[in-house]
Amino acid sequence: MSEHKNMVGPVAPPPHLRVTGIHKRFGGVHALRGVDFEVARGEVMALVGDNGAGKSTLMKVLAGAHTADEGQFFMEEAPVSVNNPHDASDLGIQIVYQDLALCENLDVAANLSLGVEPVKPGWPFLPRMLRPLDDLEMEVKAQDAIDRLQVRTLQSVRAKVGGLSGGQRQAIAIARAVGADGSVVMLDEPTAALGVAQTRQVLDMVKRLRDTNHAVIYISHNMRDIFEVADRICVLRHGSNVATWRKEDITPDEIVAAMTRGLDDEAGNAA
Amino acid sequence: MQPEHKLSFIDRLRIMRETRFGAFVPVLLALAAIWAYFGLAVPLWEYWGDADAESIRFIFLSPRNIYNLFMQSAVIATLAVGITVVLLLGDIDLSAAATAGVCAALLGVLVLAGVPSPIACLIVMAVGIIMGTAQGLLVAYIGIPSFVVTLAGLLGFQGLMQKILPTGNLNVGDPFIRGFARVLLPDALGWALAITCIVVFAWLNLRKQTQRKARGLELDTNTAVGGQIAFFGALVLATVATLNAYRSVPLLIVLLMVITVLVGWVTTSTPYGRSIFSVGGNPESARRVGINVKRIRVSAFAIVGLMAAIGGIFGASRFGSVSYTAFAGGSLLLESIGAAVIGGTSLFGGRGSVWNAILGALVIGSLGNGLDLSGASAADKLMFSGAILLLAVAIDAVSRSGTSER
Repeated sequence: MSEHKNMVGPVAPPPHLRVTGIHKRFGGVHALRGVDFEVARGEVMALVGDNGAGKSTLMKVLAGAHTADEGQFFMEEAPVSVNNPHDASDLGIQIVYQDLALCENLDVAANLSLGVEPVKPGWPFLPRMLRPLDDLEMEVKAQDAIDRLQVRTLQSVRAKVGGLSGGQRQAIAIARAVGADGSVVMLDEPTAALGVAQTRQVLDMVKRLRDTNHAVIYISHNMRDIFEVADRICVLRHGSNVATWRKEDITPDEIVAAMTRGLDDEAGNAA
Repeated sequence: MQPEHKLSFIDRLRIMRETRFGAFVPVLLALAAIWAYFGLAVPLWEYWGDADAESIRFIFLSPRNIYNLFMQSAVIATLAVGITVVLLLGDIDLSAAATAGVCAALLGVLVLAGVPSPIACLIVMAVGIIMGTAQGLLVAYIGIPSFVVTLAGLLGFQGLMQKILPTGNLNVGDPFIRGFARVLLPDALGWALAITCIVVFAWLNLRKQTQRKARGLELDTNTAVGGQIAFFGALVLATVATLNAYRSVPLLIVLLMVITVLVGWVTTSTPYGRSIFSVGGNPESARRVGINVKRIRVSAFAIVGLMAAIGGIFGASRFGSVSYTAFAGGSLLLESIGAAVIGGTSLFGGRGSVWNAILGALVIGSLGNGLDLSGASAADKLMFSGAILLLAVAIDAVSRSGTSER
């Protein structure tokens, strides 16, 4: 198994997004030490690791929130550079943060198109920021996104986000990520604060994302959720890759062992 | 109509506040209560209490007083509209009245020095924008809390105003500047304007409703749409009728309305306004979707600077003079912040509307006017204003939807 380290080999589907040799330092802390990571379209790649393993840092690097000190990005095997969130979203890389980052004072439609609001045609003499909003178009798009992900419990796209449940908010955040022509969707602990029924709703949504040919990166501590939705599982430890497995080839206990102790050769972490 | 599950009064209030027109209701109720007290209760009390009185005199509700009330509230309202924009971001501007004072003083000096008054107005507006922008830069890029920056601005600009006006007073007799407050629209033009406004409002609402239907979106009930139009129409017609009954619609009020429509439109119906609301609601969220939070902050302070300058011009026009106490040194600042907050704009950012600020200014103005008429002392006025402000913020806190946030 250890020869599969860092790579998955010929059984893996061709990657949509691939990064190699990612290094990230915060002052004296070497948070990522040459991490390789990939995800294909139509698959759910779980990213696991203990606290401080570098999951969140890797995700922020992928989303452009942090700039990698070293490392290459490939999109469909073409080299690209991601230095800020705009680069990432231009490439279709979207992130749903754990805190969701929704504006509770705005309604669902406004949240879904925040930052990319449609404006009415005409008004060429005004800067884009001051052209009239096309709020009907906004609602139509919001309704489409909600319907695509089958968020059935949501009554109206004109409801304020402040009044929604945790599962509905998660759904809105995911819909926002997907709605912006995202091909890669990263979810950070999406079920951490949810009850049973709402967790089910979110997991169903993740599966629908896979079925609609998105590349999904799923960060979680919850082994049951991971083994339900993930196709492959990538384990990080101390800022380095431990290994990547297909779900069928591994058990939850082995994953936990890899997260906490690494593979049996402890020296492998020095990389 | 009994709902399935029992709603408490506060729940109803919350639901109501979420709707677009519902946000007006608390401040309208406050206004109605104040008008009923000063307009009806006080005269009736005096009539019954005084055997010699020959007839009831409704001084407060007389067209003449309402006209004065509008004019008195206009400067407060202008500043309150600007302050609302900053409050929407969750910031505050304590320097607005001092900025207005500096701008008014500068205007007076420029006109005295022979600068043509329209150009002087433009210069003063530019100066207001620069003063606001400078404070915004300190808030956004240096990271000093807006409270501190604008407190420093308040002190500094008060001093600056005294420097510009060593005597503390300057008469402004320029006909162009006096014209804002003096020019009255002919009665017929006032009516025409009112009817045009109502027709446009109705047309916009009905067109939106048709478009919603065409696109298969959920519809507002016809009662709601009709009610909005009827309410708006009644309000506009009543205002024009009252103003015409004394003199007629003053240019100042029309200008104030035009500015408010413009600011209101920018804050609610453009991507820029949407980003103001999102920065006020959740700055982190705004940053992540690529909104330049710092630039939005600076621009909001620029807007409040511009509005303060306009307020200064309006004030100079209305009083016919520029004095230290009328602007920087007086109660204008607290009245305009109070107006914005009484209107229901949250001090925590993300919720509020410039239209509510206008109504809030009317509440503050009515209170001062009514207490003046009933012979209350300045001390009474201050205490009443404090109580009303507290009441307004309490209504805001109770009716804020969601319990966990902030």
